Amino acid sequence: MSLAIPNGLDNTVERPGERAPLVLGDTTYHDITETVCQVAERKPSKAWVIGFLISFLVLQWFVVCILYLLYEGVGVWGNRSPVFWGWPIVNFVFWVGIGHAGTLISAILFLFRQEWRTSINRAAEAMTIFAVVCAGTFPGIHVGRAWLAFWLAPYPSLNLWMWPQFRSPLLWDVFAVSTYGTVSLLFWYMGMVPDLATFRDRSKNKWRRMAYGLLSLGWSGSSRHWMRYEKAYALLAAFAAPLVLSVHTIVSFDFAVSQVPGWHTTIFPPYFVAGAIFSGFAMVLTLMIPARSMLGLEKLITIRHMDNMCKIILATGSLVGLAYGTEFFIAWYGQVREEKFAFTNRAFGPYWWAYWTMVTCNVISPQLFWIKKFRTTPWIIVLICIFVNIGMWFERFVITVTSLSRDYLPSAWAYFEPTWVDWSMLIGSFGMFFTLFLLFCRLMPIINMAETKATLAKQIHIAHSNGEEH
Amino acid sequence: MSDNTDSNDTSMNTVSGDKKVHGTVAEFTTVDSLMDACRKVRDAGYQKTDAFTPFPVHGIDKALGIKPTILPWIVLVCGLTGTAVALTMQIWMNAIDYPYIISGKPYISLPAFIPVAFELTILFASFGTFFGMWILNGLPKFSNPVFTDPRFDRVTDDRFFLYIDAKDPKYNQAGVEKLFGEFGSDYIQSVVEDDSEKKIPGFMYKVWIAVAAVSIIPLLIGLKMRVTNSDQPRFHIFFDMDFSPSKDAQQNTTLFADTRAMRPDVPGTVARGQHDVNFRTGIDMDAMASIDGVRAERLVRMLDDDQPESASESEESAPETTKSVMDTTPWLTDNPVDVSEETLLRGKQQFGIYCSVCHGLNGGGNGLVNRRAQRILAATWVPPSKLHDASLHADVYPDGKLFSTISNGIRKMPGYSAQIKAEDRWAIVAYVRALQRSQDASIDLVPKDQLEKIKKQQAEVEAALKAEADKANAGAESAEEETDADTSDAETSEDAKDESA
Amino acid sequence: MSHHPAPVVKPADDPAFKLPASMSALSVPLCGGGLILMIAGWAIANFMVSEKVGMSAYLAAFIYCLTLTIGCLFFVLIQHLVRAGWSTVVRRIAELVMVMIVPLAILFIPIVMSLLTGSGTLYRWDDPEYSVANHLNANVWEAKAGWLNQYWFMFRSVIYFAIWIGLAVYFYRGSTEQDETGQRSVTDRLQYWSGPAVMLFSLTTTMAAFDWVMSLAPMWFSTMFGVYLFAGSILSAHCLICLSAFLLQKKGAMRDEVTVEHYHDLGKLMFGFTLFWIYIAFSQFLLIWYGNIPEETEWFYHRQEAGWEYVSIALVVFHWIVPFMGLMSMFVRRRPAIIAFWAGYLLIMHYVDVFWMIMPEAHAAVPYSAPAATTPIAVAASVMCVVGMVGLMLGLLFRVAGGSKVVAVRDPRLAESMAFENV
Repeated sequence: MSLAIPNGLDNTVERPGERAPLVLGDTTYHDITETVCQVAERKPSKAWVIGFLISFLVLQWFVVCILYLLYEGVGVWGNRSPVFWGWPIVNFVFWVGIGHAGTLISAILFLFRQEWRTSINRAAEAMTIFAVVCAGTFPGIHVGRAWLAFWLAPYPSLNLWMWPQFRSPLLWDVFAVSTYGTVSLLFWYMGMVPDLATFRDRSKNKWRRMAYGLLSLGWSGSSRHWMRYEKAYALLAAFAAPLVLSVHTIVSFDFAVSQVPGWHTTIFPPYFVAGAIFSGFAMVLTLMIPARSMLGLEKLITIRHMDNMCKIILATGSLVGLAYGTEFFIAWYGQVREEKFAFTNRAFGPYWWAYWTMVTCNVISPQLFWIKKFRTTPWIIVLICIFVNIGMWFERFVITVTSLSRDYLPSAWAYFEPTWVDWSMLIGSFGMFFTLFLLFCRLMPIINMAETKATLAKQIHIAHSNGEEH
Repeated sequence: MSDNTDSNDTSMNTVSGDKKVHGTVAEFTTVDSLMDACRKVRDAGYQKTDAFTPFPVHGIDKALGIKPTILPWIVLVCGLTGTAVALTMQIWMNAIDYPYIISGKPYISLPAFIPVAFELTILFASFGTFFGMWILNGLPKFSNPVFTDPRFDRVTDDRFFLYIDAKDPKYNQAGVEKLFGEFGSDYIQSVVEDDSEKKIPGFMYKVWIAVAAVSIIPLLIGLKMRVTNSDQPRFHIFFDMDFSPSKDAQQNTTLFADTRAMRPDVPGTVARGQHDVNFRTGIDMDAMASIDGVRAERLVRMLDDDQPESASESEESAPETTKSVMDTTPWLTDNPVDVSEETLLRGKQQFGIYCSVCHGLNGGGNGLVNRRAQRILAATWVPPSKLHDASLHADVYPDGKLFSTISNGIRKMPGYSAQIKAEDRWAIVAYVRALQRSQDASIDLVPKDQLEKIKKQQAEVEAALKAEADKANAGAESAEEETDADTSDAETSEDAKDESA
Repeated sequence: MSHHPAPVVKPADDPAFKLPASMSALSVPLCGGGLILMIAGWAIANFMVSEKVGMSAYLAAFIYCLTLTIGCLFFVLIQHLVRAGWSTVVRRIAELVMVMIVPLAILFIPIVMSLLTGSGTLYRWDDPEYSVANHLNANVWEAKAGWLNQYWFMFRSVIYFAIWIGLAVYFYRGSTEQDETGQRSVTDRLQYWSGPAVMLFSLTTTMAAFDWVMSLAPMWFSTMFGVYLFAGSILSAHCLICLSAFLLQKKGAMRDEVTVEHYHDLGKLMFGFTLFWIYIAFSQFLLIWYGNIPEETEWFYHRQEAGWEYVSIALVVFHWIVPFMGLMSMFVRRRPAIIAFWAGYLLIMHYVDVFWMIMPEAHAAVPYSAPAATTPIAVAASVMCVVGMVGLMLGLLFRVAGGSKVVAVRDPRLAESMAFENV
């Protein structure tokens, strides 16, 4: 039943022909249950309480800023002619990008049978949903009269007598992000039902039992249920995989269908998707590495998991770098005056600092992951991932602001400057994100217990057939 | 849902104690022992069986003989519905019910409809998957006989259970227990009916009713708003949005530093149909900027302020005798308009309307106003320039300066920029040059075929003038009064003279 | 857990790992016939239609073979990069195809020759009169000519081939060496280098797509173009592997090694890459169509006139919708014969895609002339050319495969691959 794998084992080394263990230590199925459930069942730690209080305060500040914005109007932002898409859109694209890793881990890695995903997919999916919530807030308040945002929906209105404009990429965005949010939520919830049943069956408290009982829908672990459940899971994964690609593709269409120099380029769809995965994985690691050590999940989220994710960051970071290069090359090769100018302006214009911050953080810093030492040392990973997050925020800033601030009409050129509300909202959205994430840690199973047990079962099965135990 | 054969309590054929028995369950601790048991139970001919596991066990559906699910077909139908709904919706909304052209794209722009069609396909298919799976599984179902066994709580932790339903035709409680015993299971138990309270607690109803009642309130308010009238003024949450503070052209505002509500053009911009500064001032502004940047800037700013262009503003203050700034100004030397017959005719027309009253139709400086002023001996009158004077020729008085004079005036002459369009002023400049040329030109410039005709006309005119002069000499006193009474006649005769020249 | 008996890995010299004799025997006829057919196709197009169409048909055939080859190269690199276990039984097929980059480099010589004539026969930018005839801005053209000129172009081509040949030979040698020694360290070494190799590969493929195909329309540009060519390439590589495995099994090789599970997985990947191809193709089209900027729409405009509009629509229907529907079902994916049929079908459609990329440029220069490239004779000649070149490549491939094995017989992951099951 149990499988003694030393805790200190370096499972990042895998001999060809054998598979490295993904669950470490003398772990049993019950140990997995205990490890994961204690996170939600024991009293909250001091660190959690402090973290939550800070996040919650920042969230309140975010709410205040939104109310102030609604009262005063969008003039409180730094958005001025010609930069009408300032920080709100930068933040939107940033958060949507962060929201890509969860579904990617759950869906695409599932389809590619990457078993190491099982211990990180739950948290990553939760992160996806919270990031989409943050992302959705920004265009919602950016429409100006936020209380009329429902006009975007194609509903038969007796007041308007008209329909939304489906030839506009901004409306595609509404459909893409809301579909993505919905499907991610379904996927997350569906994956959580068996684990919620575990919570239900372990709860001593009547109210807890009732709440988790309702949420777990009466899950009994029946094989017939499992069979349909797995089919549904595979199907949802098959839908979520192209969906996750389509969302950032459509976000890139917001920019690329226009004729603004620096925006109108055909590589935007795959380049945005690569960037989204890149930033999403960086955010997952930024959150999971502290969580792993604070919540005692080292046996389930091993160094190998981090090593693999760093490799994905390296790959997508290099892809993003290739896309930057391609854009520059084609801007020169195409010899369109405005396009050439847009790219020179990015690198050497008034926003050169943003551009070179982006290149340093996004292209250069992940190259450190070629070195194995950096891929396997948690604090270095966190450091590089924070750089990547900063870089990806700057990427969206560079794309949005440099192109708008200097487009075809030189007389309209202006330098964009954010206001304190812009800053507050960026920080405030992090408050919302962390508040939701910390609540999730306390209330929901943070690791997919059922799938991790299945991975352990496979590990045991392989060990048995190799005759190493028995 | 034919493949849903969960245990349920429709028919009971066995009773244990005072409770109905639903079936028998055995506990296992490893996957392999469960799998072995499953195969043996299947081979023993049991059909209404089920296994309960904490995680999906690969291959157990075969071991138990579970049929594949029809879920993919449901999902396919849902997905196709999504595509159809999305395309129909977009085409109907944007091309049929509310058609309008946007960014030059056709009403039915299929490429632009693809993204939403894709999203809705995925959304519908995902709903189909999610809800289809729960419906096929018969969930949510909160009361399940297997839950009555406290040990069953470990099925979501680390225990595996095999279950044979009492409805199975081969079911026999003792036989099943014996069979399970052979598998080495430590825990074999009958699953009995759930005797816990079936009724939903009363407070739940209250909570639901309260939630339903509260959630309906906004809807009711909305409905009331739609059907009732009110004589109260509307409540304005955002006052400045309902009453936007629009301003008239001449009003003040606190929004801008210069307090003007009407905004000047952005510096450096050129409005549609507007000419550049050189055209509008007659000055080569680039050259000007290099000589006297401050003045060039001031002049340009004055243009932008829509004030009458007054390039000569400093000239008025400067004494005429000294070398005035007018002489150092880099005037345009070439007429920026295309000088054609059309331009000259236009210039002649405008000259006739605006200039000839003073300068005379031939530019000789003796128009009606001048003559009148001479006659009444107006003390402050400054006679208009004789346009044929050498000091006004193009070499000393460039086109640009002439244009500026027309625009801004000089001495007693007012500026005409408000009355005459810039193009027309340039046309007048061209016409004045033509007039100057006409006065000093040699007769040889006239084409030969015209020469005879002109000479003939000249002779006629001279004869006529001579006759007139004789007549005048005859009765000088009376003629003077006649001219005074009907100046237009005299003008006409003068015109005739001009024309012939 | 499943309780299938663990698969038995046969000894390395088992006849199941040899190329079937019936295939080895085809090597010389295929080479000879292919060469003759290829030259005949080129000659027919060259002399009966125009020199431009002749060279374009040759380029289309070349790009078709190239995309298959580098697609297989990428397949091998990515399997090493992700330490894939399932694919080991079919990886050697891809390895054999990828070394065909060596003879392909020789087949690039005619393209260089046409370039050296400096008359714009194939690449319009090669014609010194081009910018004058098209009233191009002199400054713009001068800058572009800094990139698009004979010698710099050739130099870059040599670099691309050098990198690809280096990668292909290195990975092939490593794998065949392991056939002899069975050392695990070989796998470690190949895995170690697969990361940098993939980076080099993506850089060179992007640039080669720009140079060899995109520059056929000298003023046109699309940053996505490299990805588009890659999408077709990786799709057809999977098709080729699938079809080859099926044919090899039919002839008696690797019958116990490649199972229905591998076809299932290859089918899934083919399905996925069909979707990826349309995703890239549609994104590229949508952005250019929506932006509607003249210098970009030119390329698609030429593909919407003179009969090309039918080819464009046919690509959407037959390169995406039909195979998408055909490959969707698990029933299909688990039937080797059906999945092999779709693989062959997609390989044909890939040629249509390549044809559609290259041939419209053969007459786009003279807008009012007859669409020479769409006449039956031009199409027939192009098909002869590509069939000839594929035949030639196959002949050489059989020759190489005859001296090697068709399965990486002593790969440490062979047993894992044989036992592979789709979840």
